[in-house]
Amino acid sequence: MPRTAIRGALVVTSLTVGLLWLTVGVSGQNGQPSTAKGEWPHYNADLRGTRYSPLDQIDASNFNRLEVAWRFKTDNFGPFPEYKLEGTPLMVNGVLYTTAGTRRSVIALDAKTGELIWSHSYREGKRAANSPRQLSGRGVAYWTDGRGDERVLYVTTGYRLIALNAKTGSVIPSFGTNGVVDLKVGVVKGTNEQIDLETGEIGVHSTPTVVGDIAIIGAAMREGATIETHNNTKGLVRAFNVRTGKQVWRFDTIPRPGEFGNETWENGSWSANGNVGVWNQPTVDEELGLVYLPVETPTSDYYGGHRPGNNLFAESIVAVEIKTGKRRWHYQLVHHPLWNYDMPAPPIIADVVVDGKPRKVVAQLTKQAWVYVLDRVTGQPIWPIEERPVPQSDVPGEKTSPTQPHVTKPPAYAREFLRVPDDLIDFTPDVRAKAQEIIKRYRVANTPFNPPMLGDVKDMLGAIVPATATNWPGGGLDPENGIIFAPAGNTFGVRTLVAPPAGYSDIRYVSGIAGRPFAEVWGPGDCCAADAGIVNRENLPQRYAPAAGSPPPPPVPGLNVDGLPISKPPYGLLAAVDLNRGELLWQAPHGDTPDNVRNHPALKGTNIPKTGQPGTSGVGLVVTKTLVVMGDPQITTPPGRPRGAMLRAYDKKTGKEVGALLMPAIQSGSPMTYMLDGKQYIIVAVSGGNYSGEYLAFALPNADPRRETR
Amino acid sequence: MNHEIHEGLETNPAGASHPAHLGTFVIFVVFVVSIVSVSLAAAASVWDGVYTEEQAKRGETIYYERCVVCHGAQLEGGDMTPTLVGGLFTSTWNDLPLSDLFERIRITMPLNQPSTLSRQQTADVTAFLLKSNKWPAGQTELPRELEPLKEIQIQALKP
Repeated sequence: MPRTAIRGALVVTSLTVGLLWLTVGVSGQNGQPSTAKGEWPHYNADLRGTRYSPLDQIDASNFNRLEVAWRFKTDNFGPFPEYKLEGTPLMVNGVLYTTAGTRRSVIALDAKTGELIWSHSYREGKRAANSPRQLSGRGVAYWTDGRGDERVLYVTTGYRLIALNAKTGSVIPSFGTNGVVDLKVGVVKGTNEQIDLETGEIGVHSTPTVVGDIAIIGAAMREGATIETHNNTKGLVRAFNVRTGKQVWRFDTIPRPGEFGNETWENGSWSANGNVGVWNQPTVDEELGLVYLPVETPTSDYYGGHRPGNNLFAESIVAVEIKTGKRRWHYQLVHHPLWNYDMPAPPIIADVVVDGKPRKVVAQLTKQAWVYVLDRVTGQPIWPIEERPVPQSDVPGEKTSPTQPHVTKPPAYAREFLRVPDDLIDFTPDVRAKAQEIIKRYRVANTPFNPPMLGDVKDMLGAIVPATATNWPGGGLDPENGIIFAPAGNTFGVRTLVAPPAGYSDIRYVSGIAGRPFAEVWGPGDCCAADAGIVNRENLPQRYAPAAGSPPPPPVPGLNVDGLPISKPPYGLLAAVDLNRGELLWQAPHGDTPDNVRNHPALKGTNIPKTGQPGTSGVGLVVTKTLVVMGDPQITTPPGRPRGAMLRAYDKKTGKEVGALLMPAIQSGSPMTYMLDGKQYIIVAVSGGNYSGEYLAFALPNADPRRETR
Repeated sequence: MNHEIHEGLETNPAGASHPAHLGTFVIFVVFVVSIVSVSLAAAASVWDGVYTEEQAKRGETIYYERCVVCHGAQLEGGDMTPTLVGGLFTSTWNDLPLSDLFERIRITMPLNQPSTLSRQQTADVTAFLLKSNKWPAGQTELPRELEPLKEIQIQALKP
């Protein structure tokens, strides 16, 4: 084709594109924001949980030429900096909205420059410092009536729902009480006892899920490994009217007497148990009018002796009606949960073709490395999920479920249990031999449902389970072809129980091991809120601290050989699963080989492959037209580059790494992307170690041609 | 730096009468200072004995009072708290100035009462962490001021 003809074709194309943009843009002014318009209007890009944007300016040919367009430091949104910034900003109409800092302030930034437009903070004092979910959280929700009323909604550290004017950041006085709804009101423990508004245990990191005029809010409680009572706060999900703040519906995740599922809490144990929150993002099918709730673990995480029965709706996906909150169906992934498998990720909604038939499915990524694929109209599995007998607990008072659902298809996308000796480290015969000795001290099982056991430093040390494949950042989906992308840790953990110190807890067994000092397990959100300093929790944990100079406890062999993970690499990976065919397409090790593995004296002269990093369960991704982008969870200093963590781009089709950018700290919040004035940006939250929270914005240099080939 | 020296020469009356001599002197001083600072920077890593045994002992006491609950009796960490010994710890802090570790502790620890350790306590705890990671003790205490701590490099591997 002659050059002029090409030019002509390009002009026509641009005109068409321009007209399209104009049409979309005009309708957009009266409508809702969307990823199709280059925006990022929900935490997960859309209500379906895809984390997908169709943008294609950044691709394999230019990813490595991305530059830091701007950076936004969050240090001063609180009295001291935050080192665990987890937000994913929203982008609507050229403005970014997100949370920041130990105060969990809400900020609006110019999406082009990072300039602060407004900020809002709500000072809650002790109430925030008591929260089981402190720090900046995951971000905010956006709502508009399409006629100029634009609102930003978020949940404070102290569990209040606040509605802000998106243009100014001021509270909406007509919403709730002067812009605030006290979410603790109506939250109960026991049979129906209102929790204390200041000290009551509840909070949430996830963002409100806004659909139509409704904002859906979940709940999270304290990390349940070593808590003081099984009778803690009961989980619930509520919907509020975005215009007024009035409650529209409420769904109790622990059914009350007379409600469906109450009998799955045997001996009336519903009344004296708590938790069963929904701490991750629900997803929505607006056409079907259904919300999919990822419901988590009951109290306590690893001992169920105080709650015999299957414990509905713990560790279930529950489909409820958007308008009423009425349950349409539920599917319990784990009966009588004992592993804290939770429902760690948002259920992802996909339309696929299975055996020639179009199917509406919901796909759940999990800590146990299975993706559960269900018909989202009926809740029935797309491929057989088989109830199989599982090992039974020998812990006094525990009554294990005789069977558990086992996914038969797709295959596990990471290790769902430890295969001995095949999965054990084999860099050298010596480390393999050591691994085989160590593993004799642990109980293994050919299922993720290896029940927790009583551990003793002089005897068996615990039960081996997957260490967490996918966690809170969840995965993503390419909606055009029904392929799901899953970040996954690929190592192992231990479940071990011990009687708590006298007077510590009313739970018969908590996490720990006999012969070692008792250690209270704090959760990732248990600390560091703005006003944490005014709370004094010293008395409680310190009772169990060994005194200085006391003889050190006997060393126990952990799941490592001289500091090397006991399992073979990859330690962490990114996997792609085809939801049409139920097949695992590829797995790519994610992250450089950790320094301590690469430099390990026992491995001198051995060829170490790229191992990936075990923390991969803790990083999230963004899916674009051609790429999956995800950052490292660990700092490394390999030969040839300065210390740091990389933001990596993978070819969606093959899993091949096609680019990597150096970041000053690990990815601590999931990336997002948007288009503004002809330029595509990627934003990622980084923090950790020496580096306090920062939003990093990447874009191509100004003079850069759109593609290398044009 | 050069600019400032040049200005100094112009305003100094002595410099006006013996410009060449003073110029040589200044160059000499700059030369010596740069030698000293270069050798300091090269010498100052955690492998050079930057704390004392006694200080690490004080740090251990503070550690058991304020840190052990979360980080464990053997600094092994917990489900949700990082280990403070071994490869994961040293690679995370590799190639950073010791002031970064000091500041992270001083500002955010202990997590239930952030910013409540004094600078001296923070220096002592840092000394205990260095000892626990088998970096050697020496004759001088780890300082509590930021500037000298910036001159000490954390290096996971012995250079």
